[in-house]
Amino acid sequence: MNNVIDSAKNSTVQPAASESKITQKDLRNVFIRWLLGGQIGWNYERMQGLSYCFSMIPVLKKLYKDPEDMKKALKLHLQFFNTSPFTAPMILGVDAALEEKEGMKSEDAIVGVKTGLMGPFAGIGDSIFGVIAGTVFGSIAAYMGQNGIATGVLIWFIYNLFRIGLTYWFIGAGYKQGVKIVANVGGKMKSLTSAANILGLTVVGALIPTVIKAQIPLVFTMGKVTMQLQSIFDQIMPCLIPVALVGSIYWLLGKKKMTSVKAIWIVLVLGIIFYNLKLLA
Amino acid sequence: MHITVFQIIALSVYAFIGIYDALETDIGLSRPIFAGLFAGLVMGDVKLGLEVGATLQLMILGVGTYGGASIPDYMTAALLGTMFGVVSGQGLTFAIGLAVPIGLLLVNLDVLARFTNTIFQHKADKYALKGDIKGIERMNILGVLPWGLSRALPTFLACIFGSTICGTIVKDLPTWLMSGLKTSGGILPVVGIAILLRFLPAKRYIAYLIIGFIAAAYLKVPMVGVALAGLALAFIEYQKSEHNTKTLEGVTEDE
Repeated sequence: MNNVIDSAKNSTVQPAASESKITQKDLRNVFIRWLLGGQIGWNYERMQGLSYCFSMIPVLKKLYKDPEDMKKALKLHLQFFNTSPFTAPMILGVDAALEEKEGMKSEDAIVGVKTGLMGPFAGIGDSIFGVIAGTVFGSIAAYMGQNGIATGVLIWFIYNLFRIGLTYWFIGAGYKQGVKIVANVGGKMKSLTSAANILGLTVVGALIPTVIKAQIPLVFTMGKVTMQLQSIFDQIMPCLIPVALVGSIYWLLGKKKMTSVKAIWIVLVLGIIFYNLKLLA
Repeated sequence: MHITVFQIIALSVYAFIGIYDALETDIGLSRPIFAGLFAGLVMGDVKLGLEVGATLQLMILGVGTYGGASIPDYMTAALLGTMFGVVSGQGLTFAIGLAVPIGLLLVNLDVLARFTNTIFQHKADKYALKGDIKGIERMNILGVLPWGLSRALPTFLACIFGSTICGTIVKDLPTWLMSGLKTSGGILPVVGIAILLRFLPAKRYIAYLIIGFIAAAYLKVPMVGVALAGLALAFIEYQKSEHNTKTLEGVTEDE
């Protein structure tokens, strides 16, 4: 990321020139292509490569009238690319500005900018729009849904529409600021990401006692005295079992060769065994 | 209860559009709770659909296909779980018990779809050499087929053979297993939460995890309230962090 910032400072690329060939309409077409087709071509070999090329086509058509340049550009954009679908419009915007200025003369610069930006933007985009938004809105929707209420689903839907608007704004920002966007947005994004992480973790903390249904039905009988294990645990701390379960699986997931799918199978089987041993209900 | 042709088509089409939405527009259709709600509407039991969707949603939350990882297909699972729950008349327990293994098994089709699209990528390379823009566009659009079919096809088949499968399962599956699966369904969100904690900087910000826990477990604050409290804490952190950056920059400028 630092390299990108450095090259941004030294770059000859200026924000969109006054006599620009690329119009707002071209950018909008690129955005719509990305929104509707930015990942359907996803494959293990080049990941978003095919779809990135597909999305850039309106800009390429505008810039490369020479067929040889066009072939070069198509080949270039079909190469490996992968980032967060939410922040990708920013990279598309930066790329458009760069190619408008330099064209196919600067293939290396284009490749450098794309690969330099996709890593950091993947991290930021996936954590804010993927992990945190999914956690917060998913928790609210599921919490209400468990009680048979659909309002939470509607809230999530409205947020998603808002997010599409925001990502449209990203492509214009990327185009106007060029590579400088990393320096300008990078610092703020760091603060935003840690703030978002705090929001996410607060909600996860509340999820543990509300959504995990686990009780110990085991009752000890000593003479006339019966003792419920669960009530002892409750006196120590409410929802002690859910907390212990989350802790154990968190630990388990840190083990080598452990995958989330394996962990789900393990919990599925253990749930059945523990239920029949009357250790969980 | 028998499933109608309309219901089979509606669920299969939803599965196709759902995975497309997951990749592209992301208005939410691929989320288990949206799928559950839809299946509930189609099958005539909205409450069951919501409950199935909510339970599966909690197992996956903010977990996504980052970097092209495959995750359990709880969208299709929510559609099929709700369908099986209604068709069998066995309700939530049965629906969840079937949905979770379905979601886990369908991961394999996700991998297959991602693999199949490599063919289109290679064809696009050939079109690029010829400068054939239309050809490249076609290849990208064709990519939607492996994706859509990887969800729609299993949904379609499960719906067609649904009532027969259900009959067999209901008859042959012992109670200890079905009740056990219910318990498993209750604790499975644990895995979703644990995965999430591995994604997030849980160790660094454990204080906020505890604050959230206290709010819900002791103070009984509803989820939206907790989210608002979290937002306030996040805002404080943001201001503090921005302030620090500014002060730092100020120092370097003075030097």
